[in-house]
Amino acid sequence: MQTLSRGRKLALVATAVASLVATAACSGGGGSSSSSKTVTIWSSTDPLVFAGLKKEIVAKAKAEGITVNMQKVDNINQLIMTKIQANDTPDIAMIPQPGVVGDIVKRGKAQDLSSVLDMNALKSSMTPGTLETGTFNGKLYGLLVSMNVKSLVFYPKKAWDKAGYTAPTDFASLEALTDKIKASGTPPWCFAIGSDAATGWPATDWMEDLVMRYGGVQGYNDWVTHKTKFDSSLVKQAAAEMEKLLLTPGNVAGGRSSIASTAFGDADNPMWDAKPGCMMLKQGNFIVSKDFMPSKVVSDVDANIGVFGFPPATAGGDNPTLGGGDLATLLSTSDSAKKVMKILADPTLGKDTAGSSSFISPHKTFDMSLYPNDLTRTIASTAYKSTAFLFDGSDAMPGAVGAGTFWKDMTAWISGQENLDTALKNIDQSWPTS
Amino acid sequence: MGTKIVTTIITVLAGVGAALVLYWVLNRLAELLPGHWEDRIKPYLYILPAYLAITFYLIYPAVETVIDSLKDSSSTAWVGLDNYTHLLKTHDFQQTLFNTLLWMLIVPAVTVALGLGVAVLADRLKPKAESTAKTIVFLPMAISMVGAGTVWKFLYTYRPEGRSQIGLQNAIVTGLGGSPVPWLEQNEFHLNSLLLMVMLLWAQVGFSMVLLSAAIKGVPGDTIEAARIDGANERQIFASVVVPQIWGTVITVFITTLISVMKIFDIVYVMTNGNFNTNVLGNEFFNQLFTNFNNGAAASIVVMLMVATIPIMIYQVRHFRAEEAAA
Repeated sequence: MQTLSRGRKLALVATAVASLVATAACSGGGGSSSSSKTVTIWSSTDPLVFAGLKKEIVAKAKAEGITVNMQKVDNINQLIMTKIQANDTPDIAMIPQPGVVGDIVKRGKAQDLSSVLDMNALKSSMTPGTLETGTFNGKLYGLLVSMNVKSLVFYPKKAWDKAGYTAPTDFASLEALTDKIKASGTPPWCFAIGSDAATGWPATDWMEDLVMRYGGVQGYNDWVTHKTKFDSSLVKQAAAEMEKLLLTPGNVAGGRSSIASTAFGDADNPMWDAKPGCMMLKQGNFIVSKDFMPSKVVSDVDANIGVFGFPPATAGGDNPTLGGGDLATLLSTSDSAKKVMKILADPTLGKDTAGSSSFISPHKTFDMSLYPNDLTRTIASTAYKSTAFLFDGSDAMPGAVGAGTFWKDMTAWISGQENLDTALKNIDQSWPTS
Repeated sequence: MGTKIVTTIITVLAGVGAALVLYWVLNRLAELLPGHWEDRIKPYLYILPAYLAITFYLIYPAVETVIDSLKDSSSTAWVGLDNYTHLLKTHDFQQTLFNTLLWMLIVPAVTVALGLGVAVLADRLKPKAESTAKTIVFLPMAISMVGAGTVWKFLYTYRPEGRSQIGLQNAIVTGLGGSPVPWLEQNEFHLNSLLLMVMLLWAQVGFSMVLLSAAIKGVPGDTIEAARIDGANERQIFASVVVPQIWGTVITVFITTLISVMKIFDIVYVMTNGNFNTNVLGNEFFNQLFTNFNNGAAASIVVMLMVATIPIMIYQVRHFRAEEAAA
């Protein structure tokens, strides 16, 4: 009898514990119920932008009685798909790739934002092209919250001005400038594509900028949706230009093998030496940050860093801007989450963030004086004034290509493991059939 | 964080508690049966939860994986053997298979050889020196593969000529007057794959050494003495007396390493993510599933791995049984 009663006690305890676990698991995570006052946001954006936006969003939501739990996560594209399969998602996810938003929509987990937000207001304030990137089947599912601009070429201002170089206006003058810098004994381009598991992406940005300039908006969109193949004259023309500018011996220090083995964040390091080791870096605006550049350079941005928009193929021709950003995707039906989405759609969002980070608002109406320096104002106006804002193509392609073979085969081509034709054919072959 | 700790503790307690309750209930049920039936049924009741666990966590997912491998990328429509034929046709995947084969051919054999070498040599040292040497060789086992991969990346790091080299190997090369080499890009003779293997060896030799060392210590001294009296030299003793007596352990180490090499993922993912022709099946599986969201291709890779592992498992089980019978 002694053992029995002990057993009974044990059973009782176990039942109690099991019910506790159930409660703990429910409060632990997952999309909140419709009456919840807590909203979870996941983002993997740049640390400074994240910190600034978090502060603003939390404060604004608090005024409406909502607690926002904004978390920085790594690898959000992979994580969110895993969590969707596990049915354990945040209420709002800031996805940096439209292709992934499309995958979420396909699985029926994203909420239509057209009915939540004031679409007319957005249409008048957002930079042209930015709403289209988050639109699937005619409905808005991803709202661009912060923007980055990639069609930019940075240069070391002091050395540049001393040598008397001027910003090129078309590809011919860009090539001439490249040769001129090389003739002076300096490798003209700073270029590196290393990025751990994402190695290769800076090369895809180059390809995209070149394709959209040769093919225009229509040609670019056809390529991104695979109506135009990689193995096509348009893409080959772009690759040939890239090869001419970057892979000609002497144009990048260390040549092909150095490009693939160096981290993209280190590409600009030689640019800031007393005698610059390279003069031009085509990169997104995010690179202007203490995370990537020496602090002595970033401490006085306008004195040290110059920037010009990547030129059109022919002067006065199509000059779209390549960009990216975080698309806020609503994964919950709760009223609080919808209210937070409205906060994210506010054209003044970022007013306390812009001054202290690389944040650029997707809203043309954003107060330019809030940007911290002339460099950022130049960058933002490049985007606001471009003939079209085109989202990063590799981000918009299916994951298998945009985060897979496009990166890998560009890497293989640049490092000399594959020739261009093989690389382009491999990418075409990997395009999902369904 | 606080809630997470509480949840963890509660989960562990609940798990253990539930297991206790389950066995207690099963025991009670068995006790309700009349005399000799209780004894007959009880063992089956006790082993039942284990079988259920294996069914749910191993057999069911395995069957599901085979089924998924015959479906499309979102596991909705049947596509027959398309996943397999498509993969096997592409050049990249053939290279991936070849790389995996290289890992399988090289790593287990070298792990055993090195582990055996260290074990034999350490056996000749004074006790203190022996334990020190073994501890050092064993230490890398304690580091996670991802951490180790990150550290080893610094060994191979490359900076363009003229910049200061922060990678050890390139620092040596440039120190001797050479040009820096982008090591992980060197795929002539699969050098870069070999460099990745070195890392796994570094991590695995300790494991091999510990098991083999224990086996060597278990070799009866009189057999060695007898051989010595018969005039055998050290090499003959090692090859004809020691090795045959530890052969069982050698096989066990070899097969354990072989199986872990077939599944190798972390090292490759961290150091190259399969770029520069270093891809292996484990990494390709990860990318198919989590980058391409291609359930079908990912499942068919797993099935291929499973099929390749089965003969080895069968051999190991047989070998184990033979050992048991002999003992």
